[in-house]
Formats: sequence, C-alpha cells, structure tokens
Amino acid sequence: MLYRTVGQFKTSYKADQALFPVRQDAVLLWVILLCAFVVFPLTASEFTFQTLLIPILIYSLAAMGLNILTGYAGQLSLGTAAFMGVGAYACYKMVTLMPWMNPILAVLLSGFFSAGIGVAFGIPSLRIKGFYLAIATLAAQFFLVWLFEKWAWLYNYNASGAIQVPNLDVFGLYVSGPLATSMTQYYVVLIIVSLLTWVCINLTRGNLGRTWKATRDMDIAAELIGINLMRSKLTAFAISSYIVGVAGALFVFQWRGAAEPNLFDIPLSFQVLFIAIIGGLGSILGNYLGAILIVGLPVVLNIVPGALGIPLSSAMVEHLNIMIVGSLIVFFLIIEPHGLNALWRLIREKLIIWPFPH
Amino acid sequence: MKHLTNWAAAAAMALAGTAVAAEGIYTPNLSYRTGPFAATGIPLMNGQADYINMLNARDGGIGGMKIDFAECETGYSTQKGVECYEKTKGKAVVTQPWSTGITLQVLPKTNVDKIPILAPGYGFSPMADGKTFSWAFNAPSGYWDAASMIVQYLEGMGDLNGKKIAFLHLDHPYGKEPVPIFEALAAEKGFEFLPIPVGLKEMQNQSAQWLQIRRERPDNVVMWGWGAMNAGAITEAVKTKYPMENFIGVWWSGHDADLAIVGEKGKGYKSISWSFPNAEAPVMADIRKHIVDAGKTKSNETEMQGVFYGRGVIISAILAEGIRVAQAEYGAGDISAEQLRWGLENLNFTAERIDELGLTGMMLPFSTSCSNHTGHSGGWMLEWDGAKFVKVSDHLEADVASYAALASEKAAEYASANAPWPMNEGCEG
Repeated sequence: MLYRTVGQFKTSYKADQALFPVRQDAVLLWVILLCAFVVFPLTASEFTFQTLLIPILIYSLAAMGLNILTGYAGQLSLGTAAFMGVGAYACYKMVTLMPWMNPILAVLLSGFFSAGIGVAFGIPSLRIKGFYLAIATLAAQFFLVWLFEKWAWLYNYNASGAIQVPNLDVFGLYVSGPLATSMTQYYVVLIIVSLLTWVCINLTRGNLGRTWKATRDMDIAAELIGINLMRSKLTAFAISSYIVGVAGALFVFQWRGAAEPNLFDIPLSFQVLFIAIIGGLGSILGNYLGAILIVGLPVVLNIVPGALGIPLSSAMVEHLNIMIVGSLIVFFLIIEPHGLNALWRLIREKLIIWPFPH
Repeated sequence: MKHLTNWAAAAAMALAGTAVAAEGIYTPNLSYRTGPFAATGIPLMNGQADYINMLNARDGGIGGMKIDFAECETGYSTQKGVECYEKTKGKAVVTQPWSTGITLQVLPKTNVDKIPILAPGYGFSPMADGKTFSWAFNAPSGYWDAASMIVQYLEGMGDLNGKKIAFLHLDHPYGKEPVPIFEALAAEKGFEFLPIPVGLKEMQNQSAQWLQIRRERPDNVVMWGWGAMNAGAITEAVKTKYPMENFIGVWWSGHDADLAIVGEKGKGYKSISWSFPNAEAPVMADIRKHIVDAGKTKSNETEMQGVFYGRGVIISAILAEGIRVAQAEYGAGDISAEQLRWGLENLNFTAERIDELGLTGMMLPFSTSCSNHTGHSGGWMLEWDGAKFVKVSDHLEADVASYAALASEKAAEYASANAPWPMNEGCEG
C-alpha cells in the first residue's frame, strides 16, 4: 500500500547500491531527519531535551557500538559501561589538562582511548568464544570500575571521587557544562550520533561488515575462505569500543554533567545490552527503537497519570511503570524474538506485497 | 455508554482535583519509596509529608497559602532524580534532591535555574560557604560537623593519643566526604585513622571488612553508611562480637529498623544526630490529631516514634520556616524561588522559636546567614538501649573554626573548576 515499490526502476549501479534503495525508505529518513534537526528543537521543552531526546540518542549510540561487536561480529560483551567510562574519563582528563582544546574534538578523540582498551580486552576473544568471552569482558567491567575508583589522578584528586563537567565553549558558545543550553547540547549529540550512524551503516554493509558477519556465523568457515579472524575480531573490538567510548563521553559531557565511578557499573552495561537485544542484534535501526522503548517509554509513562489528572502517588506510578515496561519487553520478545528491528522489517515486507500478504 | 459517562465524570473530577492541588506554593520532594534504599527513605518522606500536610490542615498552609508537597519518585537513581528536577523546576520554589549523586548534578545548574537546593544534613560540606554556593543549603549540620562532633565525643571518653579509629564507609562520594576532617583530626590528636571502604556491591556482605576490623582491633569503629549497608554492618558487628559501645554511626546510620533486627544485642550502638524523636512534643500531638486520626498518613505508630520520622518532621519545619521568613520579608503569600532563597538564608531557630513551633526537644537552635548556609546547630549522641534511641550526651558543638579554612579552599576549588561561577559578593557575614 504505502510501500508499493512498483515502478521504481534502477538504471545505474549507483542507484542500485544506494543506502536506502526503496524510495519510501529514503522519504521516511528525510522526514525523521527533518523532525530531529528542525521540528523537535523548535517544539521541545527543557524537560523533553533532558529526559527524552538527548538520552535516547546517547543510549542508541552506545547500543550501536555494542551491536557492531555483538550483533555483527558475534562477540558477546558485558563490559560496555566500563568502555563508556574510559571514554568519559579520557575526555575529562583531556579537557582539564588542555583547557584550550575544542570540547567536541575531545569527545571524538576520547573514543580512541576506549578503542585501545577495548582491543586489549579483546585479545582473549582470539582463543575463547561465547559465554567464556562474556566472562572475560566482565573482568574488564570490574577492573575498570575499580580503577576509576582507586586511581585518583583520573578525577583530579577530587575529594568526592566524582568528575564534574566544567563549562566548555566553542567560539564563545557554551556546548557543555551547566551554562550550556539544552538545545546546544542536543545539537552536538545529534550531529555526532548522525555522523557515526552514517559511518556504521556504511561499514556494516561493506567489506569489513561482511567479514564480521562471516566471523559471527561460522568462524571456521570464515577462516577457510581466507578471512583473517584476528583482524576481523580486533577491528570489531576497536570500532565498537570507539563508538561506545564516544557515547560515554557524550553521556557525561552532554547530558549528566557529573559522574561517580559506580555510574559505569554493570547495570549500565546490561541496560545497553538490553537495548541492543530488544532492538535487534545485527541492525542499526534497532538500536534507536530499543532505546526509545527502554529509555524513553518509562519517562513518558511517568508523566501520563499526571497529564490525565489521575491521582496516583508518585511511588505507585513508579511501581506500575516497572511492571508495564517489563511486560512490554516480554511481549515484544515473544511476538518477535529477533527484536523490534525484525518486527519493523516484517511490517514493511507485508506493506510492500499488500494486498496479498503471505 | 454508562461506563463512558462514569469515566468522563471521574476524569473531570480528577482534573478538578489537580487544579486545586496546583494552587499554592509548590515544594516538590524527590522522594524514594521504591528501590534498594526505600526502607530508609520511607520514614523520612512520611515525616516530611505529614508535617506539611498538618500545617495545611491546621493553619490552612503557611501565611494563608497552601503548600503543595508533591513527591516525585526517584528510587534513589540519579537519572530519575534529574528527570524529576527537570519536571518540577518550572513551578518549584525549592529542590529537595535527597541524594548526594543528584545534589552533585543539580548544584552547578542552580545558578542558572535560580532554585534553592535544600539538603538538610547531607551533600557537599563546603556548601556551608554561602558566598560561593548562594543557592545551596545544608542546614542544620553538615558531614564535617558530624566528624568533628564524633571525635569530640570520643575524646570526652578518654585521651585519643595512640588509639586506633576505623572508618567504615560507603565507597561513594557520600562516604568519602568526611575523610579530610578525620585525617586532620588524627594528625592533631595523635590517633590512627584507618579508612575501610565498603563497595556498593558489598553492602550486604561485609565479612571481609569485619575480618579486617577483627584483625586490626580498632578502639572505635565510625560508620558512614546508608541503605542496606547499615543493617549489614550492624548484624556483622553483632556476629563478630564487636563491642557495640565502641561503634558510632553518622546520622544516616541511626535508623531504628536497622537496630530492631538485632534488638538487645545492639545495645550500646551510638549515632550522632541533629534531631531527636520526641513523642511528647506538641507538634507530634498535632500531627496525630490532624493527620493520623484523619487517616491521611502513610506512616504507622512504630515508625512515628523512630529517629528518621522525627528527622523528616524537622526537615519540613526548616523549609516551612524559610517560607515564613520570606513571606514576612516580602509581604507576599505567594513567594518565588528567589524570595525563598532569602528566607532560607535568614533562618533563626532560637530556643523560644523551637518551642513556639512545638518542636521542643526535637532539634537544636541554629541560625543561617548570607555567608553561612549550614548554621552548625551541633547535635546529640544517641544510643540504642535495646528498644529505642536515647540521648546520652549534652549538646555537642562542632569545632567549625578548625576547618573553616579548608571549607573555603574547597569552595574556591569548586568555583574555579566550574568557571565562570558567579559569587555572591554582596555577602558580608
């Protein structure tokens, strides 16, 4: 119906290999981008920026980083939060040691630190697989959080042991810290996230992405057709950790404003993993859908009773919220075990062949 | 159709209800009645809410204005806390963040949003410096005061030279807060200071920490614990037969329910406190009459006799007094956040005023000023007698002068790390 592809002929290889070959997809993308860049900033309140738009984007980015590693390359990781922490602390040290540095550049550079740490902790993946690798990444999680607590140099010997984002400006416009407006913070996050998403889509459908998928599906077969497993796994660790590190830096610098070491503890790793799993492993769009469900929905559910004027106590709303979100997760995983992305693909497929779905 | 009309009627009534509730002064509380810290949060929140609701019922609010004391649930999560802050800041005249993590996040924004933070007895101790932190208040006492008072009390028991004091604390900004004061006092008085951190994951199982305590044999154990950590430490101390009379907690480690689990065996455990639950105080009678008897409380009789419920009442009394002072100064019932800031800065709880408010024996006199946002009321040492907490000391006062220099140094450090940070230069003292 809406998705009729009849009449869309590709007359060149370029058109055939476009990122979004179906016209409706491209239109949908433009609508979403228009919303994200123009409509939302014009209409959103401070509350929407701080509790919905910015966190959903940042969590999506972190889940996308994890998805490269777990969804595309098949290497299970439970250390996402720790790698986010590496990015955040690296960014903090850079902006405090070199206050002249452009903060956006610092955010982008901080990913390289976590990429390095990620590769180091990825080396065991050359010998071990599956759950055993998950345990090895869990070691990274515990070790790094311990390091954030004990290595006082990382937080500039602050008595509280927490890092606090200073006011940082680019050409006189505050982009980070308490003086930055939510809209500026949102645009910084949006531009970085869009850029990295575009990179990820291209990477995953290119040579590297196919190498990762081959490694994921059957490593022996991949080796037999000439794929260098070491390079494939370690690039996955490096690129994934880079993205996760940037997400961590954005998490603290563009959103939270302050962070204590236990923020990067295992619950955050699990949250990001859930976003990736519920969104759909091995997909890019799924990360956004998963983040909307896990990060955005509870916030929306929390304001619904108040907006409708239903007199419920705040603690009651919180209890209901936990139950509703929990049952929705179960519901979505039952109707589509491969995640929200697969659900969307199914809907799209049915729309394309409508009115004769099979 | 009938259902539909019923629903419509219910919705209309609910809307009308919120419209009424929205009038008055909005003082939201970022409460936590869910999650791992709920057990300690609930009595405090109940005390706070019951006091304000009592004022609404007895006097029709403050200065003729009803107080809208809505709660926003955080579950002690920083993320939810910030969500609540963003949600409430439009109309709110005050933020009550209720967690060091949320305070840390909100503190730098207060200069921009211009909403006072009221963090009674917690948060960053240098917040006392009102010149730097013009929007933050941690009256009546901060953590550095607690450390100073505990050492003073121990000194009263005997010379500290050559003694060993273990410091069992949550490995978190909150637990690390008093370390500089203890270190300075250790150097001055000649005792050995031994910090023993408890990670957030080890709160319920502290066997490693207590093994270390058994091995080190400290003369005293001082505890900075919260939530499940308190009960964990107290049961572990009983199990390892640590002499309870040598075990002292900060005010957040003196929760009746934590000690009720060990009962008689916890006898002798002490906790420093700036509040005391006086069941005979007139204010408690008023709460019983207007709130409990009307069935409007979420609390119960046992909880109401506890230290934490009483502390909740005091916290709300401080806020209410701030509102009153601001109303008197500006001659308006409906005060703004900036006016409340002035009110909180000019609190004067004299002994007479405390009696007048019906809070006899529940709190100590203190006053705040432009440059002193804590007030340093001092406190009492409370001791668990096997069934409840009783006072075992006279009014203890912290030696504020000894760390005033450190406080302004830390405040200046904070200001420079957050530059450009506006200072309240008009502040004289």
